[in-house]
Amino acid sequence: MTLVPVTYTGGIYRHDEIIDLIEDLGGYIIQKHVIAQEVVLQCLVPDEDIPLIQKIAKPLTGAVKPAPLVGTEIAVVSPSLEYHHLPHTSCDVAEYLRRSGAKTNMVGLSRGFGKRIANLSIEERDIINEHDLAIYVLGNFAECIGHKLPVLRRGVTVPVVVTGAPDREALMEVTEPPAEGYVGGIGRIMHRWRRPEELEKLDELVGEVAHVLDRRREEIADDPLSVSPARLMEMIMDHLPSLHGSTHPTPVTVQIAGLRVKLPYDESADAIRGIECDEGASVGEICDLIPSRMRNYIWIRIKPYSETGIMV
Amino acid sequence: MSQTRDSQFPSDQRFSGGSLEYLEIECTEKVGGDYYRQIVIDVLQDLDLFRVIAKLHICIDPAVPVFVAAGVSKKAPQPVRLRDFASLNVREEDTIISIGDETHLAALLKILWDRFGAGHVDQPDRFTVVLTIAPPDAEGLEDLVIAHPGESISRDIIYALQVIAPEGFKVRRQYVAFDDRADTGRESGNRTLNERCFYYVASEDTLPEDVVSKVVAARFALMGVEM
Repeated sequence: MTLVPVTYTGGIYRHDEIIDLIEDLGGYIIQKHVIAQEVVLQCLVPDEDIPLIQKIAKPLTGAVKPAPLVGTEIAVVSPSLEYHHLPHTSCDVAEYLRRSGAKTNMVGLSRGFGKRIANLSIEERDIINEHDLAIYVLGNFAECIGHKLPVLRRGVTVPVVVTGAPDREALMEVTEPPAEGYVGGIGRIMHRWRRPEELEKLDELVGEVAHVLDRRREEIADDPLSVSPARLMEMIMDHLPSLHGSTHPTPVTVQIAGLRVKLPYDESADAIRGIECDEGASVGEICDLIPSRMRNYIWIRIKPYSETGIMV
Repeated sequence: MSQTRDSQFPSDQRFSGGSLEYLEIECTEKVGGDYYRQIVIDVLQDLDLFRVIAKLHICIDPAVPVFVAAGVSKKAPQPVRLRDFASLNVREEDTIISIGDETHLAALLKILWDRFGAGHVDQPDRFTVVLTIAPPDAEGLEDLVIAHPGESISRDIIYALQVIAPEGFKVRRQYVAFDDRADTGRESGNRTLNERCFYYVASEDTLPEDVVSKVVAARFALMGVEM
Protein backbone atom coordinates (compact mmCIF):
# COMPACT_ATOMS: atom_id res chain seq x y z
CA MET A 1 0.00 0.00 0.00
CA THR A 2 1.54 3.29 -1.10
CA LEU A 3 0.39 6.35 0.77
CA VAL A 4 0.25 9.52 -1.30
CA PRO A 5 -0.04 13.07 0.06
CA VAL A 6 -3.30 14.83 -0.84
CA THR A 7 -5.39 17.77 0.30
CA TYR A 8 -9.14 17.35 0.74
CA THR A 9 -11.12 20.58 0.56
CA GLY A 10 -14.83 20.64 1.25
CA GLY A 11 -17.66 21.91 3.37
CA ILE A 12 -17.82 21.29 7.09
CA TYR A 13 -21.11 19.40 6.66
CA ARG A 14 -20.51 15.62 6.99
CA HIS A 15 -16.75 16.04 6.72
CA ASP A 16 -16.38 13.53 9.57
CA GLU A 17 -17.48 10.86 7.10
CA ILE A 18 -14.44 11.66 4.98
CA ILE A 19 -12.17 11.53 8.03
CA ASP A 20 -13.60 8.13 9.00
CA LEU A 21 -13.20 6.90 5.43
CA ILE A 22 -9.54 7.94 5.22
CA GLU A 23 -8.78 6.33 8.56
CA ASP A 24 -10.66 3.12 7.62
CA LEU A 25 -8.67 2.91 4.41
CA GLY A 26 -5.45 3.04 6.40
CA GLY A 27 -4.63 6.67 5.67
CA TYR A 28 -3.63 9.40 8.11
CA ILE A 29 -4.94 12.90 8.72
CA ILE A 30 -1.82 15.02 9.18
CA GLN A 31 -3.58 18.33 9.71
CA LYS A 32 -7.15 19.58 9.81
CA HIS A 33 -8.07 23.21 9.23
CA VAL A 34 -11.57 24.46 9.80
CA ILE A 35 -12.00 27.88 8.22
CA ALA A 36 -15.55 29.19 8.67
CA GLN A 37 -17.69 26.71 6.70
CA GLU A 38 -14.75 25.07 4.95
CA VAL A 39 -12.57 22.17 5.96
CA VAL A 40 -9.10 21.49 4.62
CA LEU A 41 -7.56 18.12 5.41
CA GLN A 42 -3.90 17.46 4.74
CA CYS A 43 -3.68 13.71 4.59
CA LEU A 44 -1.82 10.65 3.41
CA VAL A 45 -4.12 8.19 1.67
CA PRO A 46 -3.62 4.88 -0.19
CA ASP A 47 -2.94 5.56 -3.86
CA GLU A 48 -5.54 3.08 -5.15
CA ASP A 49 -8.32 4.50 -2.95
CA ILE A 50 -8.24 8.08 -4.24
CA PRO A 51 -11.06 7.43 -6.77
CA LEU A 52 -13.21 6.03 -3.93
CA ILE A 53 -12.62 9.12 -1.77
CA GLN A 54 -13.43 11.34 -4.75
CA LYS A 55 -16.65 9.39 -5.36
CA ILE A 56 -17.80 9.72 -1.76
CA ALA A 57 -16.72 13.38 -1.59
CA LYS A 58 -18.60 14.34 -4.76
CA PRO A 59 -22.08 14.72 -3.21
CA LEU A 60 -20.44 16.76 -0.42
CA THR A 61 -18.81 19.01 -3.06
CA GLY A 62 -15.42 18.04 -1.70
CA ALA A 63 -12.32 17.92 -3.86
CA VAL A 64 -9.15 15.86 -3.56
CA LYS A 65 -5.98 17.38 -4.95
CA PRO A 66 -2.40 16.15 -4.89
CA ALA A 67 -0.33 18.04 -2.32
CA PRO A 68 3.28 16.95 -2.72
CA LEU A 69 4.52 18.57 0.47
CA VAL A 70 2.14 17.01 3.00
CA GLY A 71 4.09 15.46 5.85
CA THR A 72 7.10 17.75 5.56
CA GLU A 73 8.34 20.57 7.75
CA ILE A 74 10.20 23.27 5.88
CA ALA A 75 12.23 26.20 7.17
CA VAL A 76 11.83 29.42 5.19
CA VAL A 77 15.01 31.26 6.04
CA SER A 78 14.82 35.03 5.74
CA PRO A 79 17.92 37.21 6.19
CA SER A 80 16.03 39.23 8.81
CA LEU A 81 12.53 40.01 10.03
CA GLU A 82 12.71 43.59 8.76
CA TYR A 83 10.27 45.25 6.37
CA HIS A 84 12.75 44.55 3.56
CA HIS A 85 11.93 40.84 3.61
CA LEU A 86 8.52 40.63 5.27
CA PRO A 87 5.67 40.22 4.61
CA HIS A 88 6.79 39.95 1.00
CA THR A 89 8.69 37.89 -0.12
CA SER A 90 9.28 35.46 2.72
CA CYS A 91 5.68 35.22 3.97
CA ASP A 92 4.33 34.85 0.45
CA VAL A 93 6.69 31.92 -0.11
CA ALA A 94 5.84 30.34 3.26
CA GLU A 95 2.12 30.75 2.71
CA TYR A 96 2.22 29.28 -0.79
CA LEU A 97 4.12 26.22 0.42
CA ARG A 98 1.46 25.68 3.07
CA ARG A 99 -1.13 25.45 0.32
CA SER A 100 0.83 22.50 -1.03
CA GLY A 101 0.64 20.82 2.34
CA ALA A 102 3.98 21.73 3.93
CA LYS A 103 4.29 22.89 7.50
CA THR A 104 6.49 25.92 7.11
CA ASN A 105 8.34 27.78 9.82
CA MET A 106 9.85 31.19 9.22
CA VAL A 107 13.41 31.44 10.46
CA GLY A 108 14.28 35.14 10.57
CA LEU A 109 18.01 35.41 11.08
CA SER A 110 19.22 37.99 13.54
CA ARG A 111 22.16 39.04 11.36
CA GLY A 112 21.56 37.48 7.96
CA PHE A 113 21.37 40.76 6.04
CA GLY A 114 24.16 42.46 4.13
CA LYS A 115 27.01 41.07 2.07
CA ARG A 116 30.17 41.03 4.17
CA ILE A 117 28.41 41.29 7.54
CA ALA A 118 25.94 38.39 7.07
CA ASN A 119 26.08 35.80 9.82
CA LEU A 120 24.36 32.67 11.14
CA SER A 121 24.19 31.92 14.86
CA ILE A 122 24.52 28.44 16.34
CA GLU A 123 20.92 28.50 17.55
CA GLU A 124 19.68 29.46 14.08
CA ARG A 125 21.78 26.70 12.51
CA ASP A 126 20.40 24.09 14.93
CA ILE A 127 16.82 25.18 14.35
CA ILE A 128 17.25 24.99 10.57
CA ASN A 129 18.76 21.51 10.95
CA GLU A 130 15.60 20.30 12.69
CA HIS A 131 13.65 20.68 9.44
CA ASP A 132 13.37 18.51 6.34
CA LEU A 133 14.55 21.27 4.04
CA ALA A 134 15.54 24.93 4.19
CA ILE A 135 14.59 27.53 1.61
CA TYR A 136 16.93 30.52 1.60
CA VAL A 137 14.93 33.48 0.38
CA LEU A 138 17.70 35.76 -0.83
CA GLY A 139 17.82 39.04 -2.67
CA ASN A 140 18.51 40.70 -5.97
CA PHE A 141 22.23 40.51 -6.57
CA ALA A 142 24.25 37.46 -7.61
CA GLU A 143 27.33 39.20 -6.21
CA CYS A 144 25.82 39.35 -2.70
CA ILE A 145 24.24 35.88 -2.84
CA GLY A 146 27.55 34.28 -3.82
CA HIS A 147 29.31 36.11 -1.01
CA LYS A 148 26.89 35.47 1.84
CA LEU A 149 25.40 32.05 1.07
CA PRO A 150 28.44 30.02 2.24
CA VAL A 151 28.21 31.83 5.58
CA LEU A 152 24.45 31.33 5.92
CA ARG A 153 24.82 27.61 5.10
CA ARG A 154 27.70 26.95 7.46
CA GLY A 155 26.87 23.81 9.45
CA VAL A 156 23.47 23.34 7.82
CA THR A 157 23.01 19.65 7.05
CA VAL A 158 19.51 19.61 5.59
CA PRO A 159 18.92 20.08 1.84
CA VAL A 160 18.92 23.74 0.80
CA VAL A 161 16.88 25.42 -1.93
CA VAL A 162 18.15 28.87 -2.89
CA THR A 163 15.91 31.56 -4.34
CA GLY A 164 16.95 34.95 -5.63
CA ALA A 165 16.37 37.45 -8.41
CA PRO A 166 19.12 36.19 -10.75
CA ASP A 167 18.08 33.33 -13.01
CA ARG A 168 18.68 29.72 -12.10
CA GLU A 169 21.94 29.43 -14.05
CA ALA A 170 23.37 32.57 -12.43
CA LEU A 171 22.45 31.25 -8.99
CA MET A 172 24.11 27.90 -9.74
CA GLU A 173 27.23 29.70 -10.90
CA VAL A 174 27.69 31.66 -7.69
CA THR A 175 26.82 28.83 -5.28
CA GLU A 176 29.79 26.86 -4.03
CA PRO A 177 29.30 24.10 -2.90
CA PRO A 178 26.16 23.54 -4.98
CA ALA A 179 22.79 23.70 -3.26
CA GLU A 180 20.20 20.97 -3.72
CA GLY A 181 17.75 23.23 -5.54
CA TYR A 182 17.52 26.66 -7.21
CA VAL A 183 14.67 28.91 -8.25
CA GLY A 184 15.60 32.14 -9.99
CA GLY A 185 13.34 35.13 -10.50
CA ILE A 186 12.25 35.34 -6.86
CA GLY A 187 13.96 38.47 -5.66
CA ARG A 188 13.11 41.19 -3.19
CA ILE A 189 9.58 42.21 -4.09
CA MET A 190 7.72 44.77 -2.02
CA HIS A 191 4.18 43.96 -3.08
CA ARG A 192 1.95 40.96 -2.60
CA TRP A 193 2.61 38.24 -5.14
CA ARG A 194 -0.51 37.93 -7.22
CA ARG A 195 0.53 38.49 -10.85
CA PRO A 196 0.42 35.31 -12.97
CA GLU A 197 4.17 35.33 -13.66
CA GLU A 198 4.86 35.68 -9.94
CA LEU A 199 2.53 32.81 -9.05
CA GLU A 200 4.23 30.73 -11.74
CA LYS A 201 7.50 31.28 -9.92
CA LEU A 202 5.93 30.06 -6.68
CA ASP A 203 4.64 26.96 -8.47
CA GLU A 204 8.15 26.41 -9.78
CA LEU A 205 9.43 26.67 -6.20
CA VAL A 206 6.91 24.07 -4.99
CA GLY A 207 8.03 21.78 -7.82
CA GLU A 208 11.69 22.26 -6.95
CA VAL A 209 11.09 21.62 -3.25
CA ALA A 210 9.02 18.52 -4.03
CA HIS A 211 11.80 17.30 -6.33
CA VAL A 212 14.46 17.74 -3.64
CA LEU A 213 12.28 16.04 -1.03
CA ASP A 214 11.58 13.15 -3.40
CA ARG A 215 15.32 12.53 -3.57
CA ARG A 216 15.39 12.51 0.23
CA ARG A 217 12.45 10.08 0.32
CA GLU A 218 14.28 7.81 -2.11
CA GLU A 219 17.31 7.80 0.19
CA ILE A 220 15.07 6.84 3.10
CA ALA A 221 13.41 4.10 1.01
CA ASP A 222 16.81 2.42 0.63
CA ASP A 223 16.97 2.02 4.41
CA PRO A 224 13.35 2.31 5.58
CA LEU A 225 12.36 3.85 8.88
CA SER A 226 11.34 1.61 11.78
CA VAL A 227 7.93 3.28 11.82
CA SER A 228 6.16 5.65 9.48
CA PRO A 229 6.10 9.21 10.93
CA ALA A 230 2.35 9.44 10.35
CA ARG A 231 1.71 6.20 12.23
CA LEU A 232 3.94 7.33 15.08
CA MET A 233 1.96 10.58 15.20
CA GLU A 234 -1.27 8.60 15.65
CA MET A 235 0.25 6.46 18.38
CA ILE A 236 1.41 9.53 20.29
CA MET A 237 -1.93 11.30 19.84
CA ASP A 238 -3.73 8.19 21.17
CA HIS A 239 -1.55 7.93 24.26
CA LEU A 240 -1.22 11.57 25.23
CA PRO A 241 -4.71 13.08 25.63
CA SER A 242 -3.20 16.45 26.60
CA LEU A 243 -2.28 16.96 22.93
CA HIS A 244 -5.96 17.06 21.98
CA GLY A 245 -6.44 20.18 24.08
CA SER A 246 -3.42 21.90 22.55
CA THR A 247 -4.03 25.19 20.77
CA HIS A 248 -1.21 24.58 18.28
CA PRO A 249 -2.40 24.10 14.69
CA THR A 250 -0.23 20.98 14.55
CA PRO A 251 0.46 19.72 18.10
CA VAL A 252 2.43 16.91 16.49
CA THR A 253 4.17 18.01 13.31
CA VAL A 254 5.04 15.28 10.85
CA GLN A 255 8.40 15.35 9.13
CA ILE A 256 9.87 13.02 6.53
CA ALA A 257 11.86 11.06 9.08
CA GLY A 258 10.62 12.32 12.40
CA LEU A 259 8.15 14.35 14.39
CA ARG A 260 8.05 17.51 16.43
CA VAL A 261 5.86 17.10 19.50
CA LYS A 262 4.79 20.42 20.99
CA LEU A 263 4.96 19.38 24.64
CA PRO A 264 7.67 20.26 27.17
CA TYR A 265 10.57 17.83 26.84
CA ASP A 266 11.26 17.50 30.56
CA GLU A 267 7.70 16.58 31.42
CA SER A 268 6.64 14.47 28.47
CA ALA A 269 9.67 12.80 26.85
CA ASP A 270 9.67 9.76 29.14
CA ALA A 271 5.94 9.23 28.68
CA ILE A 272 6.48 9.17 24.89
CA ARG A 273 9.48 6.86 25.16
CA GLY A 274 7.36 4.39 27.12
CA ILE A 275 4.55 4.14 24.56
CA GLU A 276 4.24 0.53 23.44
CA CYS A 277 3.65 -0.23 19.79
CA ASP A 278 1.37 -3.09 18.70
CA GLU A 279 4.41 -5.16 17.83
CA GLY A 280 5.79 -4.93 21.37
CA ALA A 281 8.57 -2.42 20.82
CA SER A 282 8.50 0.89 22.65
CA VAL A 283 8.86 4.29 21.02
CA GLY A 284 12.12 4.79 22.93
CA GLU A 285 13.62 1.77 21.15
CA ILE A 286 12.83 2.88 17.63
CA CYS A 287 13.31 6.64 18.00
CA ASP A 288 15.70 9.20 19.42
CA LEU A 289 13.90 11.82 21.51
CA ILE A 290 15.88 15.05 21.59
CA PRO A 291 15.12 18.41 23.21
CA SER A 292 14.24 20.72 20.32
CA ARG A 293 15.96 24.09 19.92
CA MET A 294 12.52 25.42 19.10
CA ARG A 295 11.05 26.47 22.46
CA ASN A 296 10.94 23.46 24.82
CA TYR A 297 9.46 21.04 22.30
CA ILE A 298 10.44 17.44 21.69
CA TRP A 299 12.09 16.51 18.43
CA ILE A 300 11.78 12.82 17.52
CA ARG A 301 14.12 11.24 15.00
CA ILE A 302 12.97 7.82 13.84
CA LYS A 303 15.78 5.29 13.58
CA PRO A 304 16.12 3.26 10.38
CA TYR A 305 15.30 -0.45 10.26
CA SER A 306 18.97 -1.28 9.78
CA GLU A 307 19.71 0.14 13.22
CA THR A 308 16.81 -1.28 15.23
CA GLY A 309 15.86 -4.45 13.38
CA ILE A 310 12.25 -3.57 14.24
CA MET A 311 9.57 -2.66 11.72
CA VAL A 312 6.32 -1.37 13.22
CA MET B 1 28.54 51.37 -14.41
CA SER B 2 26.21 50.12 -17.08
CA GLN B 3 22.69 51.39 -16.97
CA THR B 4 19.55 49.31 -16.96
CA ARG B 5 16.82 51.18 -18.74
CA ASP B 6 14.59 48.36 -19.96
CA SER B 7 12.43 47.01 -17.22
CA GLN B 8 11.34 43.37 -17.40
CA PHE B 9 8.07 44.39 -15.81
CA PRO B 10 5.04 45.27 -17.92
CA SER B 11 4.52 48.94 -18.68
CA ASP B 12 1.06 49.29 -17.18
CA GLN B 13 0.01 52.16 -14.92
CA ARG B 14 1.28 50.47 -11.78
CA PHE B 15 4.78 50.07 -13.13
CA SER B 16 5.12 53.25 -15.12
CA GLY B 17 6.79 55.22 -12.35
CA GLY B 18 3.69 57.15 -11.32
CA SER B 19 4.11 60.87 -11.72
CA LEU B 20 7.89 60.97 -11.37
CA GLU B 21 9.46 63.22 -13.99
CA TYR B 22 12.66 61.22 -13.89
CA LEU B 23 13.44 57.79 -12.48
CA GLU B 24 16.71 56.12 -13.32
CA ILE B 25 18.18 52.98 -11.80
CA GLU B 26 21.85 52.50 -12.46
CA CYS B 27 23.13 49.08 -11.53
CA THR B 28 25.97 46.74 -12.42
CA GLU B 29 23.59 43.76 -12.52
CA LYS B 30 20.73 44.10 -14.99
CA VAL B 31 18.30 41.76 -13.24
CA GLY B 32 18.94 43.37 -9.86
CA GLY B 33 18.43 46.82 -11.41
CA ASP B 34 15.07 45.80 -12.83
CA TYR B 35 13.98 44.53 -9.44
CA TYR B 36 15.10 47.76 -7.82
CA ARG B 37 12.97 49.79 -10.23
CA GLN B 38 10.01 47.77 -9.04
CA ILE B 39 10.98 48.20 -5.38
CA VAL B 40 11.26 51.98 -5.81
CA ILE B 41 7.84 52.19 -7.42
CA ASP B 42 6.22 49.98 -4.77
CA VAL B 43 7.73 51.86 -1.85
CA LEU B 44 6.97 55.33 -3.20
CA GLN B 45 3.43 54.21 -3.95
CA ASP B 46 2.93 52.67 -0.49
CA LEU B 47 4.20 55.81 1.23
CA ASP B 48 2.34 58.12 -1.14
CA LEU B 49 5.52 59.94 -2.14
CA PHE B 50 4.88 60.28 -5.87
CA ARG B 51 3.28 63.63 -5.11
CA VAL B 52 6.41 64.74 -3.25
CA ILE B 53 9.35 63.53 -5.34
CA ALA B 54 9.99 64.92 -8.81
CA LYS B 55 13.25 63.25 -9.79
CA LEU B 56 15.09 60.24 -8.44
CA HIS B 57 18.33 58.67 -9.55
CA ILE B 58 19.45 55.49 -7.85
CA CYS B 59 22.82 53.91 -8.33
CA ILE B 60 23.73 50.51 -6.85
CA ASP B 61 27.00 48.66 -7.08
CA PRO B 62 26.89 45.47 -4.97
CA ALA B 63 30.58 44.81 -5.63
CA VAL B 64 31.75 47.92 -3.70
CA PRO B 65 29.10 47.70 -2.05
CA VAL B 66 27.32 51.05 -2.19
CA PHE B 67 23.81 52.39 -2.64
CA VAL B 68 23.33 55.99 -3.76
CA ALA B 69 20.00 57.76 -4.14
CA ALA B 70 19.87 61.36 -5.30
CA GLY B 71 16.66 63.22 -5.95
CA VAL B 72 14.76 66.44 -6.20
CA SER B 73 11.45 67.07 -4.50
CA LYS B 74 8.52 68.89 -5.99
CA LYS B 75 7.66 72.30 -4.55
CA ALA B 76 8.31 71.94 -0.84
CA PRO B 77 5.41 72.85 1.43
CA GLN B 78 5.50 76.11 3.39
CA PRO B 79 5.50 76.19 7.18
CA VAL B 80 1.95 76.35 8.56
CA ARG B 81 1.29 79.68 10.31
CA LEU B 82 -1.57 80.62 12.59
CA ARG B 83 -3.20 82.84 9.96
CA ASP B 84 -3.42 79.86 7.57
CA PHE B 85 -6.12 78.14 9.60
CA ALA B 86 -7.45 80.67 12.16
CA SER B 87 -8.48 84.30 12.52
CA LEU B 88 -7.58 86.63 15.39
CA ASN B 89 -9.71 89.18 17.22
CA VAL B 90 -7.50 91.29 19.49
CA ARG B 91 -9.47 93.10 22.22
CA GLU B 92 -8.48 95.19 25.20
CA GLU B 93 -9.00 92.48 27.80
CA ASP B 94 -8.38 89.36 25.71
CA THR B 95 -7.60 87.90 22.24
CA ILE B 96 -9.98 85.45 20.59
CA ILE B 97 -8.66 82.87 18.09
CA SER B 98 -11.34 81.34 15.85
CA ILE B 99 -10.17 78.05 14.42
CA GLY B 100 -11.15 77.13 10.87
CA ASP B 101 -9.33 73.79 10.56
CA GLU B 102 -8.66 71.62 13.60
CA THR B 103 -5.72 69.73 12.05
CA HIS B 104 -3.09 71.81 13.82
CA LEU B 105 -5.10 72.68 16.93
CA ALA B 106 -3.19 70.38 19.28
CA ALA B 107 0.15 71.81 18.16
CA LEU B 108 -1.22 75.35 18.48
CA LEU B 109 -2.43 74.79 22.06
CA LYS B 110 0.92 73.37 23.07
CA ILE B 111 2.72 76.42 21.67
CA LEU B 112 0.28 78.82 23.37
CA TRP B 113 0.64 77.05 26.73
CA ASP B 114 4.41 77.24 26.46
CA ARG B 115 4.31 80.89 25.51
CA PHE B 116 1.59 82.34 27.73
CA GLY B 117 1.06 79.66 30.37
CA ALA B 118 -1.96 77.34 30.59
CA GLY B 119 -3.73 79.77 32.96
CA HIS B 120 -4.00 82.36 30.17
CA VAL B 121 -5.25 79.94 27.51
CA ASP B 122 -8.91 78.96 27.63
CA GLN B 123 -10.86 76.88 25.10
CA PRO B 124 -14.59 77.41 25.69
CA ASP B 125 -15.54 75.32 22.65
CA ARG B 126 -13.95 73.26 19.88
CA PHE B 127 -13.34 76.15 17.51
CA THR B 128 -12.47 78.96 19.91
CA VAL B 129 -9.38 79.71 21.95
CA VAL B 130 -9.40 82.71 24.29
CA LEU B 131 -6.09 84.22 25.41
CA THR B 132 -6.24 86.52 28.41
CA ILE B 133 -3.28 88.62 27.33
CA ALA B 134 -2.66 92.29 26.73
CA PRO B 135 -2.84 93.57 23.10
CA PRO B 136 0.94 94.15 22.82
CA ASP B 137 1.54 90.46 23.63
CA ALA B 138 -0.71 89.45 20.73
CA GLU B 139 1.42 91.29 18.22
CA GLY B 140 2.79 89.05 15.49
CA LEU B 141 0.69 86.13 16.70
CA GLU B 142 -0.80 85.64 13.24
CA ASP B 143 2.64 84.81 11.82
CA LEU B 144 3.37 82.23 14.50
CA VAL B 145 4.72 79.04 12.87
CA ILE B 146 2.67 76.08 14.12
CA ALA B 147 3.91 73.16 12.01
CA HIS B 148 6.68 72.29 9.57
CA PRO B 149 5.33 69.91 6.94
CA GLY B 150 8.75 69.96 5.30
CA GLU B 151 10.13 68.23 8.36
CA SER B 152 7.76 65.27 8.15
CA ILE B 153 8.21 65.04 4.39
CA SER B 154 11.94 64.95 4.88
CA ARG B 155 11.46 62.16 7.42
CA ASP B 156 9.20 60.27 4.99
CA ILE B 157 11.72 60.56 2.16
CA ILE B 158 14.56 59.27 4.30
CA TYR B 159 12.36 56.45 5.61
CA ALA B 160 11.42 55.48 2.04
CA LEU B 161 15.08 55.42 1.01
CA GLN B 162 15.95 53.29 4.03
CA VAL B 163 13.32 50.79 2.94
CA ILE B 164 14.49 50.87 -0.68
CA ALA B 165 18.19 50.49 0.17
CA PRO B 166 19.56 47.00 0.85
CA GLU B 167 19.01 46.22 4.50
CA GLY B 168 22.55 45.42 5.48
CA PHE B 169 23.87 48.81 4.42
CA LYS B 170 23.94 50.29 7.90
CA VAL B 171 26.59 52.96 7.34
CA ARG B 172 24.76 55.85 5.76
CA ARG B 173 24.91 59.51 4.99
CA GLN B 174 21.76 61.44 4.28
CA TYR B 175 20.81 65.01 3.46
CA VAL B 176 17.54 66.79 2.76
CA ALA B 177 18.02 70.44 1.74
CA PHE B 178 14.51 71.56 2.70
CA ASP B 179 14.38 69.96 6.14
CA ASP B 180 12.99 72.86 8.19
CA ARG B 181 14.87 71.72 11.25
CA ALA B 182 17.92 73.16 9.50
CA ASP B 183 15.97 76.10 8.07
CA THR B 184 17.65 79.39 7.41
CA GLY B 185 14.42 81.33 7.48
CA ARG B 186 13.58 81.19 3.78
CA GLU B 187 10.01 80.41 2.75
CA SER B 188 10.05 76.73 1.75
CA GLY B 189 7.77 77.20 -1.24
CA ASN B 190 10.14 79.58 -2.96
CA ARG B 191 13.11 77.30 -2.92
CA THR B 192 15.32 77.00 -5.96
CA LEU B 193 16.00 73.67 -7.61
CA ASN B 194 19.12 72.85 -5.64
CA GLU B 195 17.33 73.75 -2.42
CA ARG B 196 14.90 70.90 -3.09
CA CYS B 197 17.63 68.26 -3.34
CA PHE B 198 18.07 65.25 -1.15
CA TYR B 199 20.47 62.35 -1.19
CA TYR B 200 21.06 59.12 0.67
CA VAL B 201 24.23 57.09 0.46
CA ALA B 202 24.59 53.75 2.24
CA SER B 203 27.11 50.96 2.48
CA GLU B 204 28.36 48.22 4.74
CA ASP B 205 31.75 49.86 4.90
CA THR B 206 32.88 53.34 5.85
CA LEU B 207 31.94 56.12 3.45
CA PRO B 208 34.73 58.64 2.78
CA GLU B 209 33.32 62.18 2.61
CA ASP B 210 35.01 63.11 -0.69
CA VAL B 211 33.80 59.92 -2.41
CA VAL B 212 30.25 60.59 -1.27
CA SER B 213 30.24 64.16 -2.53
CA LYS B 214 31.82 63.16 -5.85
CA VAL B 215 29.40 60.28 -6.48
CA VAL B 216 26.37 62.29 -5.40
CA ALA B 217 27.35 65.37 -7.45
CA ALA B 218 27.76 63.18 -10.54
CA ARG B 219 24.24 61.78 -10.07
CA PHE B 220 22.75 65.24 -9.64
CA ALA B 221 24.59 66.36 -12.79
CA LEU B 222 22.86 63.55 -14.70
CA MET B 223 19.52 64.99 -13.56
CA GLY B 224 20.58 68.48 -14.62
CA VAL B 225 20.85 69.77 -11.07
CA GLU B 226 23.84 71.49 -9.54
CA MET B 227 24.45 70.74 -5.89
